Amino acid sequence: MAHLAELDLTTKGGEAKLRALLEDLVEAYKGPNPAYRLALAVWFGKRSGQEEQNLLLLYAGPPMEMFESSERQPLFWKAGSQGPPFARVHAASLDYFLKRLLLESPDLQPYFENFEVLFFEKDLLDEQILQRFNVIAEPSGLTKGWYIDAVDYAKYTTIRGLLGRYANSQPELGLVKTEESPDFEHCRGVLHVEIGNETGKWWLPQSPDALSATAPYSDHLSGRPGYFLFQGGALYRILRFEVKTAPEYAAKVLQKRRDDRYTEVYLRAVHPSEQPAA
Amino acid sequence: MTDTLKSICEQCIHLNNPQLDFIPIERGRHREIILRDLQELVSAASAEMQKTVIILAGCILESALYTFLQSQEAFIAVRRGGFQFDPTTGLADYINIFNRWFRDRLPGVELREAHVTYRHLVHFNRELDSPQDICARAAPEMLRVLDRLLGELSQFAGPA
Repeated sequence: MAHLAELDLTTKGGEAKLRALLEDLVEAYKGPNPAYRLALAVWFGKRSGQEEQNLLLLYAGPPMEMFESSERQPLFWKAGSQGPPFARVHAASLDYFLKRLLLESPDLQPYFENFEVLFFEKDLLDEQILQRFNVIAEPSGLTKGWYIDAVDYAKYTTIRGLLGRYANSQPELGLVKTEESPDFEHCRGVLHVEIGNETGKWWLPQSPDALSATAPYSDHLSGRPGYFLFQGGALYRILRFEVKTAPEYAAKVLQKRRDDRYTEVYLRAVHPSEQPAA
Repeated sequence: MTDTLKSICEQCIHLNNPQLDFIPIERGRHREIILRDLQELVSAASAEMQKTVIILAGCILESALYTFLQSQEAFIAVRRGGFQFDPTTGLADYINIFNRWFRDRLPGVELREAHVTYRHLVHFNRELDSPQDICARAAPEMLRVLDRLLGELSQFAGPA
């Protein structure tokens, strides 16, 4: 734990330390009451050099019909210090916050001033809240789906059958198309995977270096056919993988890769009539 | 015809010949436990024991990340602006920390949400709520990702 004397709130390093302390505090607020799940933590009204910081915490669970504000809390609480810097926690239920948001209530304005999202649980958050706090967890145009190996493919004779098998499980891969033929029979795109970190879950481009540890690529190298089934029922056969340096793809993904290398997959649409009978 | 667990495991050099250079020398007990579990994992894979492979591989993922993150506390603290390793949390948290601070440095391994889900198959209700062939799907993936993780960690923290 950093010592108070090391904390220079006016520098960028100082801000990082402050962020780390606030994240530690957010961690402590995640689990005290199992009836409430922390869905969003926002550091708002950020100003360097300020002794007191503000956190907004929104919880999923029974409605809380008001904002509850805590006494200011020392951020070095873990070290037993009662001195600065401090944080004041403003907590509310998601429902209540959303209601106020839809009413465009002016009392929410302070929460949107100079804010930074420290934690979010996307699955618990309403689209309006995600948008208002600029939480973008997936790139535009992302289609999500599943890998179907040759064995599974042969088991199901219809798209309905495949969807019935997969639709209830979490999507395991994503695709941002980079090109599609005019007849929609062929396309290619950047492979994505869902990655969690301490702040939330994000759909990010698949690392080319990690590709060989994946089932689709392994099957492909072994000469076995593989398929992608996307939400909604689009079914494609994998034609080939390509790892390419493509700085222009930075605009298509949420987080540009440092080396500009992306995993691109080439696909051909598969129609139910092409599937063998079980 | 898909790959058997045995054949996948045979291709995983870090499972069969673990170097574990990322474990600090003074953490002998950590090394012992991980080595023991790896031996059991290889045996289970050779016997095509899917569920055992998933659970054990998840367990070793957690042990490896625990040991690695604990030993990299200072490294994370510098990048984050303060960090204290919490030994009381579990795989999901360790993966989150790893992804935030090491994903760019160790791009050869991708720890996904799915790996946490697979590890949770240890809970009966989780398996009941999953597709029927979840174990057949998860076991090869867990072997491959664990092999990759051990290789990457050793490369990051091992001798130059």
